[in-house]
Amino acid sequence: MQLKDRIAQGLESGWKVTDGATLTENRTLEADVVVIGTGAGGGTTAEILAKSGLSVILVEEGRLYYQKDFKMDELSAYASLYQEGMSRVTKDGAIAILQGRCVGGSTTVNWTSSFRTPDATLNYWAERFGLDALAPDAMAPWFDGREQRHNMEPWAVKPNVNNDILRQGCEQLGYSWQVIPRNVKGCWNLGYCGVGCPTNAKQGALLTTVPGALDNDAHLIHGLRADKLVMNQDRVDHLQASAMAADGITPSGVTVTLKARHFVAAASAIGTPGLLLRSDIPDPHNRIGKRSFIHPVNACVAEMPEKVEPFYGAPQSIYSDHFNFSGGVDGPVGYKLEVPPLHPAMSSGVIPGHGDIQINTMARLPWMNSVIALLRDGFHPDSPGGTIGLRDDGSPYLDYPVTDYLWDGLRRAFHTMAEIQFAAGAKRVRLMHLDSDWYTTLADAKAAIDQLPMELHRVRLFTAHQMGGCGMGANPEESVVNGFGEHHHVGNLSVHDASIFPTSIGANPQLSVYALSARNSTRLANRLKT
Amino acid sequence: MNDNPEVRSVPSDFANLDRRSFLKTGLGGALFLGTVSVTAGLSGCGSTPAGRISAVGTRMDASYEFRFLTPDDIQLFEALLPAMIGPGLPEQPHARRMAIAGTIERIDAGIHNFGAANQKELRRLFDLLNFGLTRVTIARVWSSWPNVTAEEANAFLERWRTSGIGLFNNGYIALTKISNVAFYGYEDFWHLSGYPGPPQWAVDALPQFQNA
Repeated sequence: MQLKDRIAQGLESGWKVTDGATLTENRTLEADVVVIGTGAGGGTTAEILAKSGLSVILVEEGRLYYQKDFKMDELSAYASLYQEGMSRVTKDGAIAILQGRCVGGSTTVNWTSSFRTPDATLNYWAERFGLDALAPDAMAPWFDGREQRHNMEPWAVKPNVNNDILRQGCEQLGYSWQVIPRNVKGCWNLGYCGVGCPTNAKQGALLTTVPGALDNDAHLIHGLRADKLVMNQDRVDHLQASAMAADGITPSGVTVTLKARHFVAAASAIGTPGLLLRSDIPDPHNRIGKRSFIHPVNACVAEMPEKVEPFYGAPQSIYSDHFNFSGGVDGPVGYKLEVPPLHPAMSSGVIPGHGDIQINTMARLPWMNSVIALLRDGFHPDSPGGTIGLRDDGSPYLDYPVTDYLWDGLRRAFHTMAEIQFAAGAKRVRLMHLDSDWYTTLADAKAAIDQLPMELHRVRLFTAHQMGGCGMGANPEESVVNGFGEHHHVGNLSVHDASIFPTSIGANPQLSVYALSARNSTRLANRLKT
Repeated sequence: MNDNPEVRSVPSDFANLDRRSFLKTGLGGALFLGTVSVTAGLSGCGSTPAGRISAVGTRMDASYEFRFLTPDDIQLFEALLPAMIGPGLPEQPHARRMAIAGTIERIDAGIHNFGAANQKELRRLFDLLNFGLTRVTIARVWSSWPNVTAEEANAFLERWRTSGIGLFNNGYIALTKISNVAFYGYEDFWHLSGYPGPPQWAVDALPQFQNA
């Protein structure tokens, strides 16, 4: 059992960690590199740069939460660990956005699925965006390295029933399925990854790269919001930042100016384009905030004859890519199939309804399975993605239109999910759609799927994977950064997060972010030391 | 109503909350709350948070300080929750009042964490539902909320759920999500979804649960 807390020990040993809420007067700090964001990209970057001997300041808008705070409780976790208290949505409100906001970013709250970027995706990037240097063979050592760093291995324990239903359904129908690699060490198989790992098993940024950076003298300032990068001629001169009060939400009025030789934006595919749009960053081709991708997700729930207890056990351990690339990399949209964990708050928020129907549905939670489909957006002209914009107060929003091309995929995915659930023995199946009943036969479900309107709001849509918005590419006219995450026009600015992906990934993106950030940070460290 | 603008403008009030009480009262948010961009052009005293409500003459526990919901909003949710939760609410009058009051407090605590942009959207939605003219014309609810029966509240929710207008669907999702999450997500009502809570053996073994 792992009961030694790495963070508590580090803080005791004198790590340089500042809580923005404790700052009472404006100040200016300086380092070789300022890294904005502490998630998969920022943590990796900070550790590699700090280990190379560079001085690093890490900036995090969210607060530092760790084992002492992780009590397997949904309400407190959603309030403190997620963007906008888990209320973040796309501009028209039709797609719910799950995204972390804390030290470790989304890796602190993700469900630990750890996939390499699919070869088909990397090859498409080479062909379409001139990113030949990211071909599968060239990336393999970086994936190897990050798999070791984060202890990623296929889950060797028996899947929980919720995941096993996906396996059984695929087996029955002859669809391929595989075991998911997870980034855990000594996992207790409890099922609370999404509310902050209570046992320190999850090897996200919080317990790996962020401590690695702090052990090497990096300075972490949390509760500090990056407002604006300020240019001096053709270089970023400094970052203006605002300290947040102890509630993590209200700016305290104290500002911090951070000066550095180099700046790395790793504030997520919503945060980084937002920061760049607020700043004076040259953007001659108007590319910042364009081509945002989200792996749009739809879902079905099923009532099973035996208990599922979908709130317990490793939340994701089985997946199917049977339909992910089956139509070709750039054909009709493909989708990856996974299952989500179902705890009471999450379930009651995701399953649309009220009154008698809702309570009768919730009462069956211990027998409930859910399957989700993650659409691989961005590989087709009819899937151009969304746009990041700024509200009046400067905060970023994502505007994501759902095209007919995507609706076609969502409808096909509903069919597949219902087929799998009935094949696995479901007594009845319900679509996450405002008009859906419970269907007791596959024929009824399929008839409904063909007839129900595929419309915003009526179809419940989600995203847990935000990508793009500062896409990389060889051609500056259609991208923001080059294949090393280096800004095309500003010499001392890099982007190391999922916003550089020129399409979606086609798999849960954390390992893609870790690997690209490791590669690009290694190059950056060499550049800055010479 | 209890105007208490000072409460909002003094950040130290938040700083004074220790982390445990902050985490305990913070609702996990409306999970994917919908935004409603109707501009009703409404403003006025109705938009001041209710602050601390005296226990006398109200149904609330006076120890909770409202930071977002106004007295009108509280009446709105007192009218909606019996339809939202239906038979999940206790029948015994005192227990029922406490369940409704506690759920409304957790709705308020959750919205506090939503941040300014989504709070603005919710303010528009709640003002629209509270203002008599728009309540009648848009929600088609004829009585003021304290006089609305559970059946009438249910009919309103059904109208917005089945409406062909996306904006009303969005409003339905926003109202049901913040209510469902605040109710079903709370420990006292986990049993309604057959959720036993975190495994006891793990709670017993983990240090963060020990000196509580």
